[in-house]
Amino acid sequence: MADMQDGSALVEIHDLHKSYGPNIQVLKGLNIEMMPGERVVVIGPSGGGKSTLLRVVMGLEQIQGGEIRFGGKPYISTKGGKTVIDTEVRKQIGMVFQHYTLFPHLSIMENLILAPRKVNGESRASARERGQKILERFGLGAKADAYPSQLSGGQKQRVAIARALMLDPRLMLFDEVTSALDPELVAEVEAVILQLAEQGMPMMMVTHDMWFARNVASRVIFCAGGVVVEDGPPEQVLGDPKEERTREFINRVFHIKA
Amino acid sequence: MGMTLDFSILLRFTDALAIGLWTTIKLTLLCIVLGTSLGFVIGLLRSSGNAFVRGLLGLYVELFRGTPVLIQLFWIFFCLPLILGVEFSNFVSATIALTLYMGAITSETFRASLRSVGREQMDACVALGLPRAAQIMNVILPQAVLRAVPTLLSNAVSLFKESALVSAVGMADLMFIGQNISNNTARPVEVLTVVAGIYFVIAFPLTRAVTVVEQKLLRKFSA
Amino acid sequence: MDYTLDLGAVTRNMGPLMDGLWVTLQLTLAANVIGVIAGFALALLTTSKLALLRWPSMLFVEFFRCTPAIVQIVWFFYCVPMIFNVFWGPVFMGIVALGLNLTAFNAEAYRASIQAVPREHLDAGIALGLSPTQRILNIVLPQALRNSVPVLLTNGIGIFQQSALVAIVGVADLMYQGKTLATATYRPIETFTVVALIYLAISYPVGQFVNWLERRQSHS
Repeated sequence: MADMQDGSALVEIHDLHKSYGPNIQVLKGLNIEMMPGERVVVIGPSGGGKSTLLRVVMGLEQIQGGEIRFGGKPYISTKGGKTVIDTEVRKQIGMVFQHYTLFPHLSIMENLILAPRKVNGESRASARERGQKILERFGLGAKADAYPSQLSGGQKQRVAIARALMLDPRLMLFDEVTSALDPELVAEVEAVILQLAEQGMPMMMVTHDMWFARNVASRVIFCAGGVVVEDGPPEQVLGDPKEERTREFINRVFHIKA
Repeated sequence: MGMTLDFSILLRFTDALAIGLWTTIKLTLLCIVLGTSLGFVIGLLRSSGNAFVRGLLGLYVELFRGTPVLIQLFWIFFCLPLILGVEFSNFVSATIALTLYMGAITSETFRASLRSVGREQMDACVALGLPRAAQIMNVILPQAVLRAVPTLLSNAVSLFKESALVSAVGMADLMFIGQNISNNTARPVEVLTVVAGIYFVIAFPLTRAVTVVEQKLLRKFSA
Repeated sequence: MDYTLDLGAVTRNMGPLMDGLWVTLQLTLAANVIGVIAGFALALLTTSKLALLRWPSMLFVEFFRCTPAIVQIVWFFYCVPMIFNVFWGPVFMGIVALGLNLTAFNAEAYRASIQAVPREHLDAGIALGLSPTQRILNIVLPQALRNSVPVLLTNGIGIFQQSALVAIVGVADLMYQGKTLATATYRPIETFTVVALIYLAISYPVGQFVNWLERRQSHS
């Protein structure tokens, strides 16, 4: 991270506005500043804008207002009504989706090495070597030549994480990555993400799984109605929220008295 | 029913039938290859690119899907030489007509299979920073082609059946020869039944194969 | 090209073409009535639990699906009079031949849409205490019939185009009249183009309607 001054934020989101069509405003002036090394978990009701936020940060969506800076550099902004995305900056961010979205026609290894070869021009041999190492770190060393259809949901999701890591991202985004998994497969994915967190990978995560909020997050953001309602350490947001709305949500969803 | 069936009369004509069958198979295979390639290009062009190209190709597709194949054959056989001032052999005319037809049908197949590759695949490509060329060549197209295979096989069997129409413009395929034999021997029941049987014996296993291929492909390649 | 287009040669002779179109429409509509009703009955047979009913009906369907329509029509026109010693008018024979062909294809369409009714719906019916007949009448059939409409329409228009084949056995439909006119006037380009456009003018709107119907059904 040589090109970043100390103390400067990793991600700065200013006044983000996003609508689907003329009537459906999803993000209504969102502001978030994320420091290097932070692990942010975003919680909130459905339709509150959390998944959209992540998709915008990944550069998958158009925005109607606001800007995002990454590593101190301009990343996403609007000019004359059009969304401008710096694709070189976008390459430094990785994302894992709820439904794995592996490439079904390619083997696991081919899934892992496609982007390093095509984006960075890495040689097949070098990419395969790195891919094999990551697979083994995740306990999937034997699955290199299998196809996605032959893997369980938990295995597929771990491959999806490995695939994103092959590109050495500076920030990882996780969009409800355990929501589609059978309960007994969730733990293996949680373990991998915890491993990443312990190695210092900055991450922003949208999830219903409170395990992440309690064990991985350094910061929890409660997002509802397209804005940040509360933002603070896990003990505060989950245990003793300042905002009434947060309190209602926590009580309702987790049947615990916050 | 006061008639006796005598299938043995066909033994005299096995050579003729074999020649007719060979013509049918040659024509069908050639038009399958050319037509599918044409359909692939058109399907791609119609899925992207500018509106004018899309509209023009759309007209072509609707024309060949909305008119009887018979009239397409008649048009190519009788009208095209007049317009271009060139005479084509029967085989060439039939190939042009059936290829254009096959191209229209398969272009729809490819267009549908391209559409069926989910939006999430594109999201994954963007998340990985894949360049546009790699997105299309390595991720979208291979999946679209794989998904199209069962329907393409169906289309091929359909073309095989439509090929029998070239007999109506005087081309010596299996149907034409069969009809000749039937007229010569005045025994339509035996002859036409055998001709139908030959078509059946080829088309039926292929139709079954479509289901098998669909299951095998779907099982392996869709996560 | 030393051939001057004279559309008048066709427009002056629209009478016979319209007669032919009328025959074509009769063939199509009658064949569709047969195909829609008999196809349903046949679909029930092919899904029957009795092998005695299932195998012959499946063979019937496969025969019509795996042989060219032209072979079926020629066979019908030449062999049926011989075998059964009957003499039907050409249009009637055309209706029966096309009707049988459509029956087979529609049977497949019905079968597919019956089997596409999700298992969960049947389970819900069982859980609600409905008898097998009630489940079929109230859960399976309404959904299956609704979902099969687009395919039935597509097959119906398919028969409209296949009907042109009866011209080859001498039935005076639109195709036959077109070919006669083209030969008589030495103007194949104009004649065949007009005939093709007439077929298109009927196929295209129905095709668009089917698209609209499918889009609407996939939203509900």
